Amino acid sequence: MSTKIRRIAAGVSGLAATAFLAGCAKDAPQDTWQPKGTNAKTIDDLQQPVFAIAGVIGVIVTCVVVYCIIKFRDRGQAMPEQTHGKPALEIGMTILPALILAGVGVFTFRTVFDLSKTSDTQMVVNVTGQQWWWEYDYPAQPELGIDKPIITSGQMIIPVGTKVLLRETSRDVIHSYWIPALNGKRDAVPGRVHTLRIDADEPGIYAGQCTEFCGLSHANMRMETVALSKEDFAAWVANQLTDAKSPAENTLAKEGEAVFLNQCVRCHQVNGLKKADGTPAIAAPDENVWSGAAPNLTHLMSRNTFAGASWDLLSQKCRADVWGASSETVGKKYLAGVSEECLNQTDLRRWLRNAPAMKPMYADPTKLTPTNGKYRGMPNLGLTEDDIDKLVAYLSTLK
Amino acid sequence: MFTPGSKLFLGLTGFSIAVCVIYVALVDNSVGGAVALLSIAAATALLAGLSLFNRDGEVAVGAADAPASAEQLTASLWPLIATVGFVGVVAGLITHPIVFFLGLIALLAAGVEWLIQSWSEGASSDKVYNASLRGRMLHPIEFPVLALVGLGIVILSFSRVMLAVSRDAGAIIFIIAGAVVLFVGSIFALKPNLKKTLVVGICVVSAVGVAASGIAAATNGKRTDLVVANEEDHFSHKECGEEVDEHFDHLSEGTISLRSNPVATVELRDGKLTARELGLDKVTQTITFPRSNSATIIFRNKDNEEARLTAFLGTKAVQDGVVEEVLDCTQMIGKDHEQALTFKIAKPSMASDKPYTLTVPGLEGQSIEIMVP
Repeated sequence: MSTKIRRIAAGVSGLAATAFLAGCAKDAPQDTWQPKGTNAKTIDDLQQPVFAIAGVIGVIVTCVVVYCIIKFRDRGQAMPEQTHGKPALEIGMTILPALILAGVGVFTFRTVFDLSKTSDTQMVVNVTGQQWWWEYDYPAQPELGIDKPIITSGQMIIPVGTKVLLRETSRDVIHSYWIPALNGKRDAVPGRVHTLRIDADEPGIYAGQCTEFCGLSHANMRMETVALSKEDFAAWVANQLTDAKSPAENTLAKEGEAVFLNQCVRCHQVNGLKKADGTPAIAAPDENVWSGAAPNLTHLMSRNTFAGASWDLLSQKCRADVWGASSETVGKKYLAGVSEECLNQTDLRRWLRNAPAMKPMYADPTKLTPTNGKYRGMPNLGLTEDDIDKLVAYLSTLK
Repeated sequence: MFTPGSKLFLGLTGFSIAVCVIYVALVDNSVGGAVALLSIAAATALLAGLSLFNRDGEVAVGAADAPASAEQLTASLWPLIATVGFVGVVAGLITHPIVFFLGLIALLAAGVEWLIQSWSEGASSDKVYNASLRGRMLHPIEFPVLALVGLGIVILSFSRVMLAVSRDAGAIIFIIAGAVVLFVGSIFALKPNLKKTLVVGICVVSAVGVAASGIAAATNGKRTDLVVANEEDHFSHKECGEEVDEHFDHLSEGTISLRSNPVATVELRDGKLTARELGLDKVTQTITFPRSNSATIIFRNKDNEEARLTAFLGTKAVQDGVVEEVLDCTQMIGKDHEQALTFKIAKPSMASDKPYTLTVPGLEGQSIEIMVP
């Protein structure tokens, strides 16, 4: 073997080993091999043996090919006698893979039917995708303490050990919802409602990402599902059902509320927010945004991410404390929300200063002709630093 | 030295280059037009080269035992069609675009056919060979185009017939026509020795019959209910009071939209209105509807009387100080029928003074509240 070929072989082997070992990463929140819910485990129970069978067959085939390459390589020998056809071998090599595939097929079908079961659903959440964030609304379900619909975004909260049916749709293009630890993926298609069942065995924060290319910031369309104990979930519901309170007079937050009313409420709803004349401030994202929706910010600081769950509202230290918490303590830490000390002001201020610079979006007013003047994503509002100070103070009160 | 084919393509090459020069000098000196014309020149030059290389497809031009060409003997209709096409193009410029395009198609078709026919008839002294040469060039184009035109005429004619006859008669005609086609096709397949003239005759007579029926049906006009529905804007009407349309869709459960994953099903049974949401296995008087996103609700009537579902979707200002209710509704549907109602609510429930609701006009005390988060 020449030196050049050896070097190439070494390089390829190194790359392959690196790719293989990358699968051993500890901090891999979207690892499909670590199921944490019934449906994800059902998928895992199928993919583990199939992967093993495929692996064994792959190794055997590779070994045979390599053996043949080496054993029968050209050494100047005479051309061996050519034969045509080995019926027994050909029939065997047809029947064996067919049997293997049929076996895999039987278990695959059984898994598909198991996954599509929804008759014993215990809770429903509507999941709506749009460029580039996820909205969750909880229909009224009095038996779960949800007396009127709840709306949130970025992070979906579910009670642990509860079979939750997601009713997925989209407001603009096709997206795909996937929390690998809890189930497979399901497309969210405009004009259709697709269902996907998830449940979580233990409290925790489970990460996911849109898995259908949906435009410029597809890579920044992330999401998390937070599983809480039933008691913690009830506390979360109770909090979400309340309206936002107006900040005390003569505070920076109160001034921020005025900025919010002047700038942000055109798209973002805050339940309970009133205009100067005392009437409810109603957001009109349908008049300003191409998808017709913008995140409801009533309880912004009760979730710990923003901007399509792509940036943390928690500072690095506080985030590590919540995300790294044990299943016994994660609920309490999550429900504590984002305190003033833990607020990741740096990213939030960057976002308020110029959102499209952080997350590519079609929010340039000079290029809005294709969307009839409506934004896709949050535009640069041209806020002053003073306005940003006030807004951050106001947003911090939305717990 | 130059074969007839190569002369043709060389002429086109020279003509394209000349036009390109004139175009750039006198009309438009931008790159686009010049590139297009030079591309034509390059393509025809390539074809000229190929013609020279293979001596026009193995034709023994200039062979000692045959004259290089024969006098053109076939009478051709193509000049006449080209003239008609040219007149169509000119007339279309001042009358209607469709006339222009039909004329252009006729002109181009006649031009190509005429050129190839003239060339092939002068290719050798063997008429049979010349005819086969023409076929080799044009049959791959003529057969698919003629088949397409023929099928188009049959389909268009059949559709005119279906629009003219009543809905019930249409179903019967469709079944009979399908059965006849299947039967005759089976006979043709089972009897491969049938006379070609007989098969062609049956096909031609059938096609002519369908075309004649289509012309007669088109002359007679569409059936009354389609005309009336069109005049009344039946297909987009949303009058939520008393049903005024005579020809509403009595078979509404057959519509495709019913398969579009409704968010809820509303049922009228024994004078009571109830709802079921997708995924929630219980009866409810309140449904949650997505905000600012079109979604579908199915209305199912289990009562004897015809009924419609009306959605109250808030109010809108029509002028200063004057607001009117925004309503959407299904058509009237009879017992055991169902219909989809697709609408969008842009604002959350808190934005409306009155709750968004679903009701059946005339049915007191029964409503489904629509909650929009």
